[in-house]
Amino acid sequence: MKRRGSFSIHGLLLGIAVLTLLSGGARWFILGGSAVSGRTHISFWNGFTGPDGIVMLRIIEDFNRQNPDVEVVMQRIPWATYYNKLTVAGSDGRGPQIFVSHADALARLRRAGFVSDVSAMTQGNNAIEISDFDPYVMNYLSMEGDLMGIPLDIHPQGLYCNVDMLKAAGFVTDDGKARAPKDRTEFLDLIRKSTIEKNPKLPEKQWGFAFTYWGANFRSLMPQFGGRFLDESGNSELNSPQNIEALEFLQMIAKENMAPPPDNGLGWFGYRTKRVAMVWDGVFMLGDLLRLNDLDYLGAPIPQIGPQPGTVANSHVLCIKANLNEKEREASERFVKYLSDHSLEWAAAGQVPARISVRNDPEFKKLQVQSAFAEQIPHMIYPPRTPIIFEFMLELDVAVEKVVRGQMEPKAALDLANTNAQAIIERDRREHPEDNP
Amino acid sequence: MRKYASLNYVMVAIGLLFVAPFAFMFFASFKREAEVLRPEAILPKAWDASNYEAISRNSVEAPINIWFLNSVFIATATTLLVITLASLTAFAITRLKVRGGNIILGLIVGTMMIPAQLFLIPLYVILRRLHLLDTPYAMILPSAAGGFGVFMLSSFMRSLPTAIEEAALLDGCTLPQMFWKITLPLCGPSIATLAVFTFIASWNDYITPLTFMESVTNYTLPVGIALFQSSYSTQYGLTIATSLIATAPLVIAFLVFQKQIIESMTASGLKE
Amino acid sequence: MTARAKQQVTGWILLLPYLAFFAIFVVVPVIVSGWLSVVQLDLANAGASKFVGLQNYSDALKDNFFWMATQATGKYAILMVPSVLIVGTAMALGMNSMKRGRDMARTLIYLPSMLNVAATGILWQWFFNNEFGLFNYGIRQAGGQGVPWLTDANMAMPSVVLMSLWWTVGGTSVIVLTALQQIPKVFLEAAALDGARNNQIFGRVTLPLLKPVLLFVFVTTTITSFQMFGQAMILTGGGPTFATRGLVQFMFETAFNGYRFGYGAAISWLLFAMIAGFSVLQAQVLKVREAK
Repeated sequence: MKRRGSFSIHGLLLGIAVLTLLSGGARWFILGGSAVSGRTHISFWNGFTGPDGIVMLRIIEDFNRQNPDVEVVMQRIPWATYYNKLTVAGSDGRGPQIFVSHADALARLRRAGFVSDVSAMTQGNNAIEISDFDPYVMNYLSMEGDLMGIPLDIHPQGLYCNVDMLKAAGFVTDDGKARAPKDRTEFLDLIRKSTIEKNPKLPEKQWGFAFTYWGANFRSLMPQFGGRFLDESGNSELNSPQNIEALEFLQMIAKENMAPPPDNGLGWFGYRTKRVAMVWDGVFMLGDLLRLNDLDYLGAPIPQIGPQPGTVANSHVLCIKANLNEKEREASERFVKYLSDHSLEWAAAGQVPARISVRNDPEFKKLQVQSAFAEQIPHMIYPPRTPIIFEFMLELDVAVEKVVRGQMEPKAALDLANTNAQAIIERDRREHPEDNP
Repeated sequence: MRKYASLNYVMVAIGLLFVAPFAFMFFASFKREAEVLRPEAILPKAWDASNYEAISRNSVEAPINIWFLNSVFIATATTLLVITLASLTAFAITRLKVRGGNIILGLIVGTMMIPAQLFLIPLYVILRRLHLLDTPYAMILPSAAGGFGVFMLSSFMRSLPTAIEEAALLDGCTLPQMFWKITLPLCGPSIATLAVFTFIASWNDYITPLTFMESVTNYTLPVGIALFQSSYSTQYGLTIATSLIATAPLVIAFLVFQKQIIESMTASGLKE
Repeated sequence: MTARAKQQVTGWILLLPYLAFFAIFVVVPVIVSGWLSVVQLDLANAGASKFVGLQNYSDALKDNFFWMATQATGKYAILMVPSVLIVGTAMALGMNSMKRGRDMARTLIYLPSMLNVAATGILWQWFFNNEFGLFNYGIRQAGGQGVPWLTDANMAMPSVVLMSLWWTVGGTSVIVLTALQQIPKVFLEAAALDGARNNQIFGRVTLPLLKPVLLFVFVTTTITSFQMFGQAMILTGGGPTFATRGLVQFMFETAFNGYRFGYGAAISWLLFAMIAGFSVLQAQVLKVREAK
């Protein structure tokens, strides 16, 4: 065996050990040891991993300053894995005192048994006025007489337009400002006018429209045609004639080459890099536009494609864990109320506040995209309220994807999705007879 | 066999093709966000270090410094634990020849056939019981149980001559002394290789932290980078700059230990 | 105590720490996984479990998604294994006949393996993007038609393989190159003296001598192909319409997004069965060959 110069195994071991100690120590120093005694600790979980997290953190800092007896610590987990981790941690007793849930995920969390009723917060002095919220939202959040949380915002899907492209296509008001297309004819007209094979300013083709998250794009059309997810007895109704009609519109867009083939998340990318004139996406995507400084954008309701206006929406709901001790409960309620009271600040991050009084605030009206998206609230629908929401939506997403990729006809795709979704519903009824008496 | 000069150029060209994406990443990391993904210009219009500034500021959105620290801690602790346990175990089995040692070794090697993914779900359930989810130990401790290190060091130690150790024992050396002063240095190169392999595997591991970590502040670099993609909209400049920073330590480790790595990589391949 | 007894005692003391780890993090998980695969476990419901026998397995065999995932995994392996073998060997041969700069080329080719899968995937996602990506830009500039790299169900898996090839083929080339360098020069010189042409030398001398290492690459690449996860997860998320969602991703999503741990465990055992089946088959074929 050759001897290898000055290589020393003991030195290597020592080196690794020192690195371990240093990095471990630094981690501990940065992440641990911030606990101040005498304050009630409230852990607050959410999935605000984008720019919205920064706004939320600022609101929390203000709260902590104004409430010296409480310390709220925010923990962010990406939405993709959020609900699983929340469910597991919650059932371990390790989870947070307060957490954000999308309205449509609450049925699932309720089954896990750690969401508490907050209806007491809407009664008595200093209460959050229930009449300050839209009845549709409050009904959605009430289950068997329990109020599952206080809605913080409403985030509908809406239309984002590129102002320069609107103007170039002649979509201007009398006083020369850009305006968004309002109905089917205008929408298709703008797509045709903004689809340019060779735009001298771009390396390649400019598109009039692009799919973002095609499942959600489809869902914003469903209410326009009167489509639903479930019927009154909780059975799948995905293949209703209304839904098929809505999907046929998207099929037409794809077939006639009015949008590039759907590509993961890159419709939005095309929009923000000025290669797409219009996309439909959630109001929360505004946070991404706010950090760009060279894009002139305009928000508007989804154009009315079907017989009536409509879009899909959801809410971030503030929930309090069940079985907290009195001190934690009081502090949690105080924080939830504080957030609700400060939802105008939250709106600035790219949200529509759930409170009607805040939406009527002149300050809110100044927020162009948010207030334009808020116009859709009377016609919005939420995803279905069911514990198997994730699997259900997956089936629908697959159906939509197959159609926009030209692999299946709308009716066949929705028939298949309906059969599969119904099978999931029935499996769930079998596995959880207690929920389905 | 005749050698063609042109082949030299072809191979260099292929080599460059393989590193071209790195060059692209390097240039892109100095571009402004709006410019990053424009295919028509590879070099930045104006060199701009704002991506690196953003990383050094350690934003709330993407606490890259903490991810880096987490990665270092997890990878070094895993490496330390793996080489310690594996060398002790291999020593006990091959040098001290404990009774039943070969059966144990057989069992360890046998479990290496089971794909790592099979362990994911049960480990999740077990780590949850041990209250280790969302801590670095959820990654460190299970990695230390892997059989590869024991297998590799056992086969190496078995090939060592016993004469030096026997002489040392006659000189009154104790068994722990023998391990520390004689066996360990003899195994130096192969332990170094094991260390580099373990470090790289741990550093680049994606599915384990994705499954076992919860909070953004407990992320390692690979899941952190993937987070850029999942959170609302990808900031490509930042993603690419972070990727370069995440890769740098491995490239350095690779260049330093290149000989050991390539030798043992091929050794494991040629033995079959 | 005799020296031998002392050696035994010391040996066992040194062995114990690892054995403890091995028991907790290897043996127990295998048992737990076996148990999980025959129950319906609801972690949300305080971890309540219900014995369901082999239902998880029979559900999987009836599940369309399971077969789609198996198909995707199979497709990946069928494309990936020959690509790695051919490209890896070709590059090793090329490097072997280099006069200068061989070490340099070897380092360059191995470099991509150092990148983590998330960085690789995000980078290539942009390369592949239909409308705004680098590849199609180049193709269109050259006057061609853009390729639907990731948006076409038939094209997506080859694209995933292409990225994986760039990412991992360096390791294979290095292994094959070392094997080439270990072929004694006299063999090749003797063949050349006998008047053999280069391609004959390769076919009759080099290739047979490379057989063991190529077999090793074949087996390990096949096994790792069965375990493909991160590449598709980042690049396509498993799409379009699940064309690239392999078994590991299916298992992962079933357990950790769909909350069905028992079902997920059953899928992982089925994956194991496939890998084990392949290994046994491979060993059998080899035995038959050698007997001939």
